[in-house]
Amino acid sequence: MSKILPGTKTTRMELLLLKNRKRLAERGHDLLKEKRDSLIMEFFNAIAEIKEARQEVESTLRDAFSALTQAKMIMGASRVAEFASSSKTSVNLSISTRSMMGVRVPIMSAEQNTPEIPYSLLDSSAKLDTMASKFQIALKAIVRLAEIESTVKRLALEIERTKRRVSALETVVIPRLEATTRFVKLALEEREREDFFRIKMIRDLIT
Amino acid sequence: MASDKIAVIGDRDTVTGFQMAGVRMCTVSRSQEVTRSTLIDYFRNPDVGLIIITESLAKEVEDTILEISEAPIPVILLVPDRTGTTGAYEKLLRELVRRAVGIDIKI
Repeated sequence: MSKILPGTKTTRMELLLLKNRKRLAERGHDLLKEKRDSLIMEFFNAIAEIKEARQEVESTLRDAFSALTQAKMIMGASRVAEFASSSKTSVNLSISTRSMMGVRVPIMSAEQNTPEIPYSLLDSSAKLDTMASKFQIALKAIVRLAEIESTVKRLALEIERTKRRVSALETVVIPRLEATTRFVKLALEEREREDFFRIKMIRDLIT
Repeated sequence: MASDKIAVIGDRDTVTGFQMAGVRMCTVSRSQEVTRSTLIDYFRNPDVGLIIITESLAKEVEDTILEISEAPIPVILLVPDRTGTTGAYEKLLRELVRRAVGIDIKI
């Protein structure tokens, strides 16, 4: 038996109000349940996508690292590092958000701008160019993965929140409203019986 | 938007590679303390939108990562380093799925 809402008056008005509130709570409950179900569906779609993106990142990075090793073999590790830190390529991240079932998820894209000659061409090897472009491809894959992963994270948070709301409505709010409605109804019926009895008594007195 | 920079924390090879791709905020980390403090530095920096950290380094500071990945921005992403993937990322994802759906699901 759940608790009766405190401060309820046993009047017909109150009964009507309670009934309306219960109807509203039930509608909210249904809507939230639907929201939760479709969020979970989206979540699993995103999980499938994440796996794919992850594999992409792994393979592109593997390629990039082997190109790096080759560049290091030809130019020497410290020279490669030197070129890397003086390279003029730059990358900018642009983040915007879109709404997915009321959850704001980010859309990220990397804007890479490579100048014509990012580093001295005279004493760099062609392997360095290959390696640079391979890392750029890997970075693109990484940014895509980051987008999907943060989508998944936010979806997970939203699912948690929605689940909590659904169960709060289901186990607390609705039973409480039901109990209060019953209480008010019983009290009203009781008063009706009392009135009926009182009228009978008075009739007996008069006659 | 302000947060438009990518930051990388990793070993020397990873950092070199990403520098070639144009990432300017790079840190070579050799110890756990450095990794942790750099991670927090990048996290507090409002310009940073994405932090890339190698899996092997991430394993040492797992608790910090779990703590700060609650925030929506910046996104923290674990990538495999030269030696290949270690599976640290699977663990993070599984935890998320467990919390969202309520049960452990093999993904």
